[in-house]
Amino acid sequence: MATQIDTHPTALPQQVGQLTTGWKLAMGASFLLLVVGIVAFIRELSTGMIATGMRNVGTMGGASWGLYITMVVYFIGVSFAGITIAALVRIFNLRQLRPIARIAELLTVVFLLMGSLAIIVDLGQPVRGVINLFRYARPQSPFFGTFSLVIAGYLAASLIYLYLGGRRDAAKMAEYPSRLQRFHRWWAAGYSDTPEEQARHRKTSFWLAVTIIPLLVIATSTLGFVFGLQVGRPGWYGTLQAPAFVTLAGVSGTGLIIVLAVIVRRMVHDKTALGIDVFAWLGKFLLALVIVYLYFMTVELLTLLYSTPEVEKQLSDALLFGQYAWIYWGSVALLAIPAIGLMWQALTRRWNVGWLVAAGIAVNLAAIGKRFLIVVPSQTHGTLLPYEVGSYSPSWVEYGVVLGLFGLGALMIGAFVKAFPPLPLGDREEVTADA
Amino acid sequence: MRRNVTAAMIAGGIVLMLVGYLGAAPWGADTVANSDPRFSFAPAVFVIGVIVALSAALVYELMPDRRNK
Repeated sequence: MATQIDTHPTALPQQVGQLTTGWKLAMGASFLLLVVGIVAFIRELSTGMIATGMRNVGTMGGASWGLYITMVVYFIGVSFAGITIAALVRIFNLRQLRPIARIAELLTVVFLLMGSLAIIVDLGQPVRGVINLFRYARPQSPFFGTFSLVIAGYLAASLIYLYLGGRRDAAKMAEYPSRLQRFHRWWAAGYSDTPEEQARHRKTSFWLAVTIIPLLVIATSTLGFVFGLQVGRPGWYGTLQAPAFVTLAGVSGTGLIIVLAVIVRRMVHDKTALGIDVFAWLGKFLLALVIVYLYFMTVELLTLLYSTPEVEKQLSDALLFGQYAWIYWGSVALLAIPAIGLMWQALTRRWNVGWLVAAGIAVNLAAIGKRFLIVVPSQTHGTLLPYEVGSYSPSWVEYGVVLGLFGLGALMIGAFVKAFPPLPLGDREEVTADA
Repeated sequence: MRRNVTAAMIAGGIVLMLVGYLGAAPWGADTVANSDPRFSFAPAVFVIGVIVALSAALVYELMPDRRNK
């Protein structure tokens, strides 16, 4: 613990409390996106779901689950990887990954909140929907697991994990006078870094991690079952849905952790805080997940093309050669090209942070594309009843709301990193008096 | 004391989860009308159970030992 006590205002480590021009610009842009999202959502509330591009399946030739549900699946997927990496760091004592544990936990909490909001905006009657969920949800339905385990259990576990893991650093930060001292003192909650407290924290975080891992695998698999258990919907019904959901969740989350870690590294002006070994580990982990997911995609493709019944044939044609082909092949390219690049870096053992960021962004775009393809085409081209083929295009309201959610997420992350150190404080980091 | 409260919270959380789950899942009901939860807000009880059990970690870390007082 630091021993230097001063009554003057202090410059806190990792740029905490220092609102730089770049940060203000980024937050201003995020706030604008949030305003766009709020305006779009008000429009949706006032005119009803007709303001969106969603229409009834079959009778209206549309899709009743569209961009919002696509983003729900994507957001929850990102959160899955965040907490998985944070938990693995604790369980297997992966020392080299400790610096990114808090970033991963933060990403989990923020994206879970965004996922919850994405579900709410998809409901025509949000308040009624939320109340009735707690009133009537049935455990026989995979939605029960999604809402109870993902939104409640998973979010609670992640918040507790983030809070307890930050107490030591909060205690360090609270020793020095700053505008945030009261907040840091509250977070520390009397922590004094005694050997007993350290041992207690190790034990708690280990058992929390052990609890969280199965919880989140069940929760994310349940989200896959929402689609995978629908017998009457070609393209959804299948055993690969749950494991493919979990794998793509890992891909998108790991990609975003890389991007956020690089932003944090630049923000704290300390490249040694997050060394290349951390990025090499994340790159290899991302590569392994992308390869597994590409394998799932290949198996799925071969199954679709082999002795396909009529409706499945219609669906596979739409995916591979029809109106969704550009999203399908675009997603394949956005997974395959980063995989080749990552493999090259792994073989040569020369990791380039810029390339890793590009790979992280690319696999996230691919993940959004793939989530869209999971959600939409089975509704427009997969009806077993004799309806005409349908179509779905999101309206500006849906794009606006989704942009607003991203803006909100960026604001939450931006506010956090200016209120609390995004990387664990090392013993070498002293809080220095402001000049 | 701290260990006892933690254990009680975990046990209480599991009991709430069981009560909520069994209340929300009327196994054996064979009609839609009978498949509503046995009592209103049973799913909420399940969710509260999950949160109570997980919050035991907070108690374990934050509650002071009696001998340290």
